[in-house]
Amino acid sequence: MVSLLRNQKVRNALLQVLYVGSLAAMVLACVMIARRNLAAQGITSGFDFLFKSTGWDVNFSLLPATANDPYWWYFLIGIINTLFLGSTGLLMATVVGTIVGLARTSSNELARLLGRTYVDIFRNIPLILQVFFWYAVITHLPTPRAAHQGLGMLLTSRGLYVPVPNVGNLAMVATAVALIAAVVLPVWLGRTARLSRPVGERLGIQVAGAAAALVCAAIILAVGRLPDLPLVDFPALQGLNLRGGLRIPPEFSALAIAIAIYGGSYIAEIVRGGFKSVGKGQMEAAQSLGLSPWRIFTLVRLPLALRAMLPILANQYVWLMKATTMGIAVGFTDFFMIVALTINHSGQTLEAIGILMAGFLAINLSLAAVFNRINRAIALKGNQLRG
Amino acid sequence: MIAGNSTKSGGPAVRLENLDKYYGTFRALRNVNLSVERGEKIVVCGPSGSGKSTMIRCINRLEQHNGGRITVLGAELNDDVGNIDGIRREVGMVFQHFNLFPHMTVLENCMLAPMIVRKQPRAEAEVRARRYLEKVRIPEQAMKFPGQLSGGQQQRVAIARALCMQPQIMLFDEPTSALDPEMISEVLDVMVTLASEGMTMICVTHEMGFARRVADRVVFMDAGEIVEEAPPEEFFSASRNERTQRFLSQVLGH
Amino acid sequence: MEMVVVAPPAPGRLEDLKRRFFATPLQALLSLISLAIMVFVVWKLLNWAVFSAVFTTSGGPEACQAAAGACWSVIAARWRIILFGLYPFEEQWRSALACVVVVVMTVLSCIPAFWTGRRIALVWGAGAALYYVLMKGGVLGLAYVGEEAWGGLALTLFIFVTTCLIGFPLAICLALLRRSELPWISRTTGLVIDGVRSLPLISILFTFAIVLPFALPQWLQGDKLYRVILGSALFFSAYQAEIVRGGMQGVPAGQEEAAMALGMSYWQRIGLIVLPQAMRNALPATINQFVISFKETSLVVIVGFFEILASGNAAYGTGEWRFAYVEVYAFIAFIYFIFVFSLSRYGAFLERRMAVGER
Repeated sequence: MVSLLRNQKVRNALLQVLYVGSLAAMVLACVMIARRNLAAQGITSGFDFLFKSTGWDVNFSLLPATANDPYWWYFLIGIINTLFLGSTGLLMATVVGTIVGLARTSSNELARLLGRTYVDIFRNIPLILQVFFWYAVITHLPTPRAAHQGLGMLLTSRGLYVPVPNVGNLAMVATAVALIAAVVLPVWLGRTARLSRPVGERLGIQVAGAAAALVCAAIILAVGRLPDLPLVDFPALQGLNLRGGLRIPPEFSALAIAIAIYGGSYIAEIVRGGFKSVGKGQMEAAQSLGLSPWRIFTLVRLPLALRAMLPILANQYVWLMKATTMGIAVGFTDFFMIVALTINHSGQTLEAIGILMAGFLAINLSLAAVFNRINRAIALKGNQLRG
Repeated sequence: MIAGNSTKSGGPAVRLENLDKYYGTFRALRNVNLSVERGEKIVVCGPSGSGKSTMIRCINRLEQHNGGRITVLGAELNDDVGNIDGIRREVGMVFQHFNLFPHMTVLENCMLAPMIVRKQPRAEAEVRARRYLEKVRIPEQAMKFPGQLSGGQQQRVAIARALCMQPQIMLFDEPTSALDPEMISEVLDVMVTLASEGMTMICVTHEMGFARRVADRVVFMDAGEIVEEAPPEEFFSASRNERTQRFLSQVLGH
Repeated sequence: MEMVVVAPPAPGRLEDLKRRFFATPLQALLSLISLAIMVFVVWKLLNWAVFSAVFTTSGGPEACQAAAGACWSVIAARWRIILFGLYPFEEQWRSALACVVVVVMTVLSCIPAFWTGRRIALVWGAGAALYYVLMKGGVLGLAYVGEEAWGGLALTLFIFVTTCLIGFPLAICLALLRRSELPWISRTTGLVIDGVRSLPLISILFTFAIVLPFALPQWLQGDKLYRVILGSALFFSAYQAEIVRGGMQGVPAGQEEAAMALGMSYWQRIGLIVLPQAMRNALPATINQFVISFKETSLVVIVGFFEILASGNAAYGTGEWRFAYVEVYAFIAFIYFIFVFSLSRYGAFLERRMAVGER
């Protein structure tokens, strides 16, 4: 027996069985105790509850929602809310981060100072504090009757009211797709055409692409237009309340602004790091070839910097996506808040936690998959290129 | 304790029988047989990738062999954890890249293992460490950190560190390959002194001059097997093996 | 030669200015825009925070609300609740002293002389114990104050310190387990680490605070505060474990081999050879992780703790100071800023120093 314990192979096998076994036993014990406790409260385990109606409301949804809807529909709403808030936040943070990051790498001392101050301040204040702050700012705005007005929009303590076109839901989505295409298409065409064509011709192709997408959007709008209503629905005061337009609730705006500002300060540092990683030799080579500063930037610095940034940026995006869970602090019904409310109302604790984990795993994995694809597509070929 | 007792018994210092070693599907050692008597000095040479480092790393179980038997000082090197610990205590090793601990002074490098493995009191360990540093001719560097020494000095500290454990066998894994040419002789001198004091040594090296002066036997390996095993005079002048001759002409430069 | 000596300094300075800020039209434009933004923001901020601000409580909230600038009187009136929460008024000096203990502890652990495993453990262990005795009392003639009355900055610091105190050793364990040669141990640990890392911290805090009591036997449940700290420590350790593992990967394989060849046991190799070097490699990333987890401490407000953010909400949320939310948040942001900024500056300094000292 003693000699058996001194045998390395026996020892290794024993250790592994012991470790994995005790972990599994712990999890199993927890699940069993939880099931017993829940059963004592009259809650039957299983996923049947997904098809029962919830009986409570959500305050923000891109899909139609009523208290009669079943739980699975609410989870879907939550996931879509999270993705919507996340992608809005990411987009805005990326814009802010790019501007600040470029300022930080610029040759202008004042711009650098400005960028650095921004990063130093907003990186060092917790995100949730910033969320609370913006939420307080927005909910302390004037009431609808004294709303700030401009560009057909109304800014009030109940949120931002923006004009929307009076079109059907499907047409709305199609228009959005067409508008995104109008931005993406020229970039994509420019990339695929690369340097093989003369500049003028490339520009022509890009403009044509953008124009085609815009025309598509216009046609969809015209076709999908709701009958007997003006094309654009402006928000306006009616009695004590605001009618018409689209209301962006304070919860959403506060979260999006905070994520944009806080995330922007992190992305700025990533952008700066990316540009710093581009070797001096590359720049000197480009200069000695007589390229103009603009072309050096677009053809040499930017592409190389992007490749260096992307993996770190991917991590940051995943982090920001997870940060949407702060919605619960101000009452935005993101995925996590839906899960928390579900546990509160239905008591289906284990199932809800399982769905929460699966949901975030899916979000993380799909984000990672997208970024891996992009990474692989743009990675420098061969391994002799970087010193 | 079993290992401690068995190491005192008679027989050869190291015996390898039908040793096999695989890395995945690559066969690094094929059927290696070698017996080293106590006090004997063996020089192992051969082209790179021939398995000579792998062989001596098997002797103190930095690599696990897949087949055959290894007996060190009478104890078999198998899965018994106690045997492994016992053997490592009695076998010192010097590496190509020195592997000194950079966060400790030279003296601490030498005192560490005797104190924590052999449980020697600090004072005794220090006296012994200073004695061995004297022996490798760098007593004045005791309080420096490895990063502050030259390659040759570092390698001599590494030898002193191994000797502080008072091993019965010393393994050298290409101790001079990472050194600048002018530092090679200072390390070889120390090794020659050590050999003259009767230490059992197995050296993987390309220093043929050292082999001629010190070795009792030269072992030539190629493609994972021992091709030839002979006393140096015979090995250098009378080898009839074609692979050996090709290797020798490359190493000796003509 | 003479030309240079005689050259008047004033035009030189002007030249210099021109070269630095107005070299090309684009540069000039950039400088002007930046300058305009800076002047605007600084002026607005100074005007609000200093020139038009009210600093005394004498006029009461009404006079304060009427002022054009900041109403710092809310801080003067409510700083105790922000810093100490609901801690008994006469005992609040203990809370303040406890905060000082944490600060001193942090400063001490930034000094290289304390960077050995034993000393750093001693500093943090003693600091946390001192903090605990001060806050909780019940001994040495200090009145007993239960955890439910702790709040404000003091609670924030307590959660942070205990998170690190539990999370750090746990991180090292996880890193070692993940690095294990035994495939099932390393795989299972990897699964745990990656699983925790893929979840948002809030969901972990929520699970530990609210869900765990269902899943644990009565005798294991403990106080909600300590469950949340455990959850936060688990999250911290999952991230820190990867940092430690990265540091270990930076230690050459030869180091461990040399230790093995000298006959050292696994724990001797890890404790004396691998970890000291790995921690040095991982130091900048570790400090960064401390900074992040200090900021994330604020999330416990969501599971219902009265830490600094919640006490800030309470400070302006009730009654006459309802309008003064910006001032309260600015005050809290400033406190966070001081801690986080100095820690991250220190990290950047270390990183630069280590980059220079690279062998």
